[in-house]
Amino acid sequence: MSVFMDLNLSFTADKKLLQSVVETAAHLGFSTVAINYVFEPTAKKKQDIPSPTPINELIDQLPVVQGRSRPIRVLNRLTIVMSDSSHFRPNAAEYRCFDLLAVQPTTDKLFHAACMTYDVDIICISVTEKLPFFFKRAPVNGAVDRGVVFEVSYSAAIRDSTMRRYTIANAVSLMDTCKGKNVILSSAAEKPLELRGPYDITNLGLLFGLSDGDAKEAVSSTCRSVVLHAETRRTASGIISTMRSCSESSCQQEAPPAAADSEAPAAKRAKHQLPDD
Amino acid sequence: MSPADKKDKPADYQRVVLKNASPYHYMKVCLVLEDESTRLSAVDLKQFIISGLKSLYGEVGAALTFDLLKYDEDTLTAFLRVNSRGLVKLWSSLTLLGSYQNQACAFRVLQVSPFLLALTGNSRELQLD
Repeated sequence: MSVFMDLNLSFTADKKLLQSVVETAAHLGFSTVAINYVFEPTAKKKQDIPSPTPINELIDQLPVVQGRSRPIRVLNRLTIVMSDSSHFRPNAAEYRCFDLLAVQPTTDKLFHAACMTYDVDIICISVTEKLPFFFKRAPVNGAVDRGVVFEVSYSAAIRDSTMRRYTIANAVSLMDTCKGKNVILSSAAEKPLELRGPYDITNLGLLFGLSDGDAKEAVSSTCRSVVLHAETRRTASGIISTMRSCSESSCQQEAPPAAADSEAPAAKRAKHQLPDD
Repeated sequence: MSPADKKDKPADYQRVVLKNASPYHYMKVCLVLEDESTRLSAVDLKQFIISGLKSLYGEVGAALTFDLLKYDEDTLTAFLRVNSRGLVKLWSSLTLLGSYQNQACAFRVLQVSPFLLALTGNSRELQLD
């Protein structure tokens, strides 16, 4: 069986709070967590995409996972709340700093585009409002085929009973369409007391209309496939990966100093160039 | 068959097969409160759990019978017994309980088993020396 993961811990500027959340996650038995940075572009002015704080700056000593005697693995994740198609820029260099990339579409059209074409790992389902659109079979099946997963987060359901209604209703309507495949359950917790153990979440999945097996996969093996999907996103079809070498060799002299945001490993682009050569 | 034959036979063993039919499930839960100095009596705890059941499943859910077998006030750890059929309901309402008297709280479900004896030890807390 695959290890447990919680791929959504909300980023807070309070370092101490974030540390205690990660510690609680490790104590509950999660082997991998992702710290989530939410980016919500507004129409009025251009905002900068947040850049992730390196993990070793956030947490000095990674806590040991309960029962595994191994330190917890912490990833970075970016969630883009989209209300317009221009909010997601494919191949944006800022996205490459993050291990996982998620979008939260707010309209029917964007949901369709996110499922069928966007190069992302996770599609977030809104749990704080009544579903603004209806899940159609075609885009959902398309997403399942491409290996993109849907995420339902549960901490809103713990905070407030109205949110709980929306969470359950939206989750059940998603499960009706995707039949329990490619769904992950995550916390979106800001405080340690909003986290729940992996078996609690499995049980909660039953409430959302998942079967026993799917509910357990939603916290374990589906999460693993998301992380692997994210790794292949950075490489050319998962075969070739490029990385910058640390040493300043002569062949890198023509590269501009700010290589990270202009010509960093463009793995996907290289794939299209192959036939030309 | 004569009575003498019966005597010669070895002691009868009865084979019992439980096909997931154990009537009860037992849970060991621990309540974690934001303010650790809050005291909670056994009656308060049961009332709190019932209120959680009621908010998630309504009046019908609150009618679910479960027992608080043992409760340790110092560590806020309790043993619950519930009908196997009501396990999912009780567990999910414990999961979704998030506040006790306007302070954040969380139920940590430590162990769940169909056998009470299994709750005597926890393999995850073993200290192997």
